[in-house]
Amino acid sequence: MSNSHNNRAAITRRAYAAVALRTMWRRAEGKFALIVLALWLAVALVSLVWTPQSLWTTDGYHVWAKPSAAHWLGTDGTGADVFSWLMAGSRTNLLIVLLTVVVSALWGLLLIAAMVARNSALASTSVVVIDALISIPTVLIALILAVPMGASIAVIVIACGFGYGLNLARVARPAALLAARSAYVESALANGASGWRVLVSHIIPNNLPVLAVQLSLSAGTAVLAESGLTYLGIGVPSGVPSWGHSLATSVKLINVFPLTVLWPGLIVTVVVVALNVFGDVLRDAIDPVANPALRQTAGSAGKEDER
Amino acid sequence: MSVTVEALSIAIGGKPIAADVNLDIADGERVGLIGSSGSGKSMISKAMLGLLPLNATVSGSVILGETQVIGASERELADLRGRYVGTVFQNPAASLNPVMTVAQQIGLPLKLHYDLTKAERAERVARMLGKVGLSADAANKYPHELSGGQQQRVGIATALITSPRFIIADEPTTALDSITQRQIVDLLTALVDDAGASMLFITHDFSVLARATTRCYVLESGRIVDSGVTAEVLADPQTPESKRLVSAARSLTLRSVDLHSTKEDSHEQ
Amino acid sequence: MRFVIRRLLLFVVALFGISVVVFAALRILPGDVASIMAGINAPASRVAQLREQLGLNRPLTTQYFDWMGALVTGDFGTSILTGRSVTALIGTRAAITFPLIILGLLIAMAIGLPLGCTAVLARSPRVRAAFHVLAIIGGSVPALWGGLLLILLFGKGVGLVGILPSQGFPLDGWGKPGSAIVSLILPALTVGIIVGASLMRYTRSALGELAGSGYIDMARSCGMTRTQAVLNVGLRLAMPQLVSVIGLTFASMITGVMVIENLFALPGIGNGLVTDVGNRDLIAVQSELFLLAAFFLAIGLIVDVLHRVLDPRLKNGGNVAEVNA
Repeated sequence: MSNSHNNRAAITRRAYAAVALRTMWRRAEGKFALIVLALWLAVALVSLVWTPQSLWTTDGYHVWAKPSAAHWLGTDGTGADVFSWLMAGSRTNLLIVLLTVVVSALWGLLLIAAMVARNSALASTSVVVIDALISIPTVLIALILAVPMGASIAVIVIACGFGYGLNLARVARPAALLAARSAYVESALANGASGWRVLVSHIIPNNLPVLAVQLSLSAGTAVLAESGLTYLGIGVPSGVPSWGHSLATSVKLINVFPLTVLWPGLIVTVVVVALNVFGDVLRDAIDPVANPALRQTAGSAGKEDER
Repeated sequence: MSVTVEALSIAIGGKPIAADVNLDIADGERVGLIGSSGSGKSMISKAMLGLLPLNATVSGSVILGETQVIGASERELADLRGRYVGTVFQNPAASLNPVMTVAQQIGLPLKLHYDLTKAERAERVARMLGKVGLSADAANKYPHELSGGQQQRVGIATALITSPRFIIADEPTTALDSITQRQIVDLLTALVDDAGASMLFITHDFSVLARATTRCYVLESGRIVDSGVTAEVLADPQTPESKRLVSAARSLTLRSVDLHSTKEDSHEQ
Repeated sequence: MRFVIRRLLLFVVALFGISVVVFAALRILPGDVASIMAGINAPASRVAQLREQLGLNRPLTTQYFDWMGALVTGDFGTSILTGRSVTALIGTRAAITFPLIILGLLIAMAIGLPLGCTAVLARSPRVRAAFHVLAIIGGSVPALWGGLLLILLFGKGVGLVGILPSQGFPLDGWGKPGSAIVSLILPALTVGIIVGASLMRYTRSALGELAGSGYIDMARSCGMTRTQAVLNVGLRLAMPQLVSVIGLTFASMITGVMVIENLFALPGIGNGLVTDVGNRDLIAVQSELFLLAAFFLAIGLIVDVLHRVLDPRLKNGGNVAEVNA
């Protein structure tokens, strides 16, 4: 019984996702965002098994080489292929972005749960603490972490996840409070549902558009943060490919072949634009008010439920 | 000022809001436009003032006095608004400038259209405050320090300070409780009649409409479906939409008391 | 007034919290600072000596209160590496960073505010779409790359129009103000453009929301044109929000310009902090981090109070959430 219910819920969820994706694809900017993100994923996966040159092939005779057929973007100070490193960087950035989104989502939800808690002391304390901490920039948190930890992916993920989680909580607070005090939550609580259950099954689904947009903006900011922190030497450690690493290399290439400087930064910019645009179109696509197709799906799913 | 609206159609972001709307208001006449929420009445009033949002497209003709509003430049419209045409908005809390004092707000149309000294302006504002029944010490208060009814009195004073020839009142009483509603409607009609101006009164509530207007148009989904003398439409509604709106007004006993007193009022006149 | 007192109290509490966090992070997190400072191959005696010198052998509470006590009297400690007082260190760095971010903020405001207003005032859908694209791209450019592009355009030696220095700050500091200013132009332009794009987005969204509001309709119905209403009423009503954003932006620029200081080889606060972190200069880093955090909290405090002063609705005990609702 409950199993079939779960199946139906899964089908409805899949139908929702399909409708949302189709809606996004129909808009030009949505198409752009989806294509860029799909390309990113594809390149990241391919780079795991193949890059034009091996990352670890160094050539002492061809350091700081200009672009050629063998080295499309030239070579760096060790003679390694800049293009291959750029390509391999996409997987590190993908990992960082995914981890950051997960960490900030969990941390943000924990804070939201605290803010809408029935315990008013906990609720008001968490609001005050968030307001105070939010003015501390991510870079500063990263620096605090970097003193004992050194350069590491964890520094980026923790610092960004911490900062963006605070942001998420603050942005979602009004809507979450509204949902938490709404009639259906009251009745769910009256029927004996636990606070956590209400959070997971009522408050989060009702704030999904806000959360999704905020997380996708965070993803874009995480890409930018990676490039900055890695350049400063407190992000991705040297020897690990990343876009920040490629950007930092390109700084040194500026005197050798200035135009190669354009590529890593351009890729970062395009991906961040795509993530920002993705957030925008995602909001419109998963908001039942803005997307009539979604309402129809909900309507037909409701009918199925009745049968 | 007489007002003629012909074949007015409005679409916002490609979505049709109003189609082929025709209405006439004679000089000095108080005419109602009634419809349920979402019927497009507010957008019609905005079109008449040139206040439609940027993604709106509009066609047809709106003539205020001698000026064609549709297609007029923003400069021409601004010269008209606040000088010959006054507007009272639905929700004063969301329209009165929160950082302006009452006196600054009421004096704004004077400041924009007339070359008066500060003292002359202050004197006119003080007189207007008396007319709308606000005490002189309200002048230096901010809107949020006033009650809803007092705020709407400020709204009315702002609309009438320049003695405009035509008033558009867009649901001026919706945000108020029923006793305050009656006071505000009576104040507005008295001041409009005193000034000899004409008025378009927009509402979704027949009981308020009966008190404020002599003739009315009934709007449904952006189209005029009924029109006539307000008391007649109210007594014998012809179309389903009129019937629905009338019965909605009657279903509230408190309001139906209002209806009777309104009828008595009109007999006295 | 009660609000200011409450907010000040929160400030003090937060300051205390930050001091504990900074202190704890540098002591409790994995990694022995002394051994890292000494270097990988340092003999144990050297590490022990360093630990003694840093006072790391004393109880944590003693270390904390010694540090705090000194901070209160304005003594930020002495850099272990350079032997200079941290106060002097921060002073010379601030003399570069503050002019840089003030110049950057001025450029950002000169770009962002007018563009944001124009984006709201524009009537053509195409122009509005163009502003939308501009805002998104402006917010997506990595600072490092933005700086590189400007160097490629204007940097002496490599640029297409190589007229501006792109490396370093005069050794005698502000001794020759002319050359000091010139060396800040390219970095300030980089910050200014990037921050300007985000300021434009804020202006556009704050003003755009107001442009569709009853306040603007009211002002227009009194006889203002749309442009007049947006610029007079809209900007005034958006001011509390914009002042907040500009204030917080200014604060965040101190660390935000780290990458740019690094790229243009300017020994400013951010760049110096990165260097000190890299050198594991515990005392310097600890005091610098605390001062920066205190600075951010102070700006947050000032912005909150200004917000109240600018919005009469908030003066008598209302709160921001109610007004924005």
